[in-house]
Amino acid sequence: MQGIPGGGTRPGLSPMDRQMLLIFSFILAVALGQMNFTGDQVLRVLARDEKQLSLLRDLEVLKPQKVDFWRGPARPSLPVDMRVPFSELKDIKAYLESHGLTYSIMIKDIQVLLDEEREAMAKSRRLERSTSSFSYSAYHNLEEIYSWIDNFAMEHSDIVSKIHIGNSFENRPILVLKFSTGGSRHPAIWIDTGIHSREWITHATGIWTANKIVSDYGKDPILTDILKAMDIFIELVTNPDGFAFTHSMNRLWRKNKSIRPGTFCIGVDLNRNWKSGFGGNGSNSNPCSETYHGPFPQSEPEVAAIVKFITAHGDFKALISIHSYSQMLMYPYGRSLEPVSNQRELYNLAKDAVKALYEVHGTEYIFGSISTTLYVASGITVDWAYDSGIKYAFSFELRDTGHYGFLLPATQIIPTAEETWMAIRTVMEHTLTHAY
Amino acid sequence: MQPRRPPPPIPGSGPWGPRPVAPLIALLLLLAPVVAAAESESAEHPGQPQDAGLQRRLLQQAARAALHFFNFRAGSPSALRVLAQVQKGRAWINPKEGYKVDVVFSTERYNPESLLQEGEEHLGKCSARVFFKNQKPRPAVNVTCTRFIEKKKRQQEDYLLYKQMKQLKNPLEIVSIPDNHGHIDPSLRPIWDLAFLGSSYVMWEMTTQFSRYYLVQLTSVRQWKTNDDTIDFDYTVLLHELSTQEIIPCRIHLVWYPGKPLKVKYHCQELQTPEEASGTEEGSAVAPTELSNF
Repeated sequence: MQGIPGGGTRPGLSPMDRQMLLIFSFILAVALGQMNFTGDQVLRVLARDEKQLSLLRDLEVLKPQKVDFWRGPARPSLPVDMRVPFSELKDIKAYLESHGLTYSIMIKDIQVLLDEEREAMAKSRRLERSTSSFSYSAYHNLEEIYSWIDNFAMEHSDIVSKIHIGNSFENRPILVLKFSTGGSRHPAIWIDTGIHSREWITHATGIWTANKIVSDYGKDPILTDILKAMDIFIELVTNPDGFAFTHSMNRLWRKNKSIRPGTFCIGVDLNRNWKSGFGGNGSNSNPCSETYHGPFPQSEPEVAAIVKFITAHGDFKALISIHSYSQMLMYPYGRSLEPVSNQRELYNLAKDAVKALYEVHGTEYIFGSISTTLYVASGITVDWAYDSGIKYAFSFELRDTGHYGFLLPATQIIPTAEETWMAIRTVMEHTLTHAY
Repeated sequence: MQPRRPPPPIPGSGPWGPRPVAPLIALLLLLAPVVAAAESESAEHPGQPQDAGLQRRLLQQAARAALHFFNFRAGSPSALRVLAQVQKGRAWINPKEGYKVDVVFSTERYNPESLLQEGEEHLGKCSARVFFKNQKPRPAVNVTCTRFIEKKKRQQEDYLLYKQMKQLKNPLEIVSIPDNHGHIDPSLRPIWDLAFLGSSYVMWEMTTQFSRYYLVQLTSVRQWKTNDDTIDFDYTVLLHELSTQEIIPCRIHLVWYPGKPLKVKYHCQELQTPEEASGTEEGSAVAPTELSNF
């Protein structure tokens, strides 16, 4: 939208600002005076020439107080926006039509818009002040999850802290939850969810898992032993920009939202942007592709933040990266069929983890290396982790196997999280008892 | 969807039949330069897990292609089947021509919420021969399945579904099924099943030895005409291709009536190249409300 040239009644405010101001003043009026705008519309009229413009100005005279110009008649090239009360719609439209003035309906019903705005404002005030009423069996948006993170870290500040490890491309904070029983720096375990934004079950599982850890600490002997010796780090929303986009515009968005001059397609596949076999098979150099690897390794702030954090820490012993869907538990490599040096150990550990998972709800997972189980993929998280010396690097693909795919019903969140937890716990326990 | 049987967890290879005997080996050697035998692979010998994994994938591809074709040919939205488990199979790879796969697999009802019919087996069993012609579309499929539901009963079910469809208020206003949270309104389930049936034809044609498709969402209904002898359904779906992770919008137009063979026409959108991209916010993987090149 262009700024107002000469003719605006409020110099310095863009038409968008002016509109917002008007909307807010309406809300106030509605709140205070119970005004009702049901059925009122905002029409956008395109005047072809000065003659048509003056016809519009005449309208103001003909129907004083009945037509409210949000963007007044200024020049023929500029659209004219006017609010028309429901009772006047028929007359006004007849006037426009009879004079050959083309118009479109910008807002079909102002009251609806006002109600939505009011609801949104009330909602943001209502944002939960504690985690006790947060529903673990529902999908949440970014604001709700970030609010939950704040509350959660505060409520369990004895073992949980929130760390800001960087910012996304669109400048959203990248947050990590640290679970620690204190002491000087312990060896650590990393878990990330949501690297692909459309995989909603992963964020939901991560949140449930975080809560499970604080609930079971002190009660589950295995978890308690793990936390006494090691720290756990969980990054719940690894791709915050993509995640926000799945709520606002495109539920099936996978990549981040980075834009580069010269390319028209948006986003890099964050699970192809790591420095391990970067650019190889199973990644794509076409920026419009869902597996576009980006211009160079770690080019994406979301990936760079993690690399920086894990490298600076220097003592991560296990890394678990969670995706959906396919029901698989896998270890490196993705970039080639070459087996890793401790392949047999990882095979057996995966087998145990999958068995523990199965025993919860009977869900069947297959397991193996990424390249042989799923497909060849280069520049992926777990390959980088393994090459960086993290011996226990695993990738999950959660439920289901294609029936609902990414659109997994919320009723499956808790069962999925419960079974996945048993697999994660198995991996963590092995990491603890096989110190290196 | 929960598995109802308690088999042991599946390692990279899966529970398969016994190893081939000598005469068969001779036969296999005769047939192709490279033979990939995919028989039993015990969990205690992960020695060649790479081979086992690749074999398993190939057999699954074949089973899926066969099942898409089977669903299409049966033309029955009330009797759709999905893959449960690959049981055994064998593949012949001819680098010049393609991949020939024999596979035996079990199936489950697509709609797990629906009640089992009297006399219907919970698990059906199919055997198929599938020929993937070096990444060309339309794999040749020869498939037979045990009779899950008697044909007459199936037609009765379909006719009930057809009557339900005729009652639908205004399907043209549908936004998406399932919604973004995975929910399908029970009253709209018949539309979804019919959409899945049409999509089966598309997915069969597009499946190759490497690409695998899933139906994600019905995103718009352009036309829904219920006449006395047909349902004319013009709609758009999103398919998910697993190896490239692409979301592919497809416009499908089908004509269906219980007992009559299904007629399908379709057009799927190609992946954007950087030159063709329109420069909008949406970039790739967006379902357009209008397929401009249709």
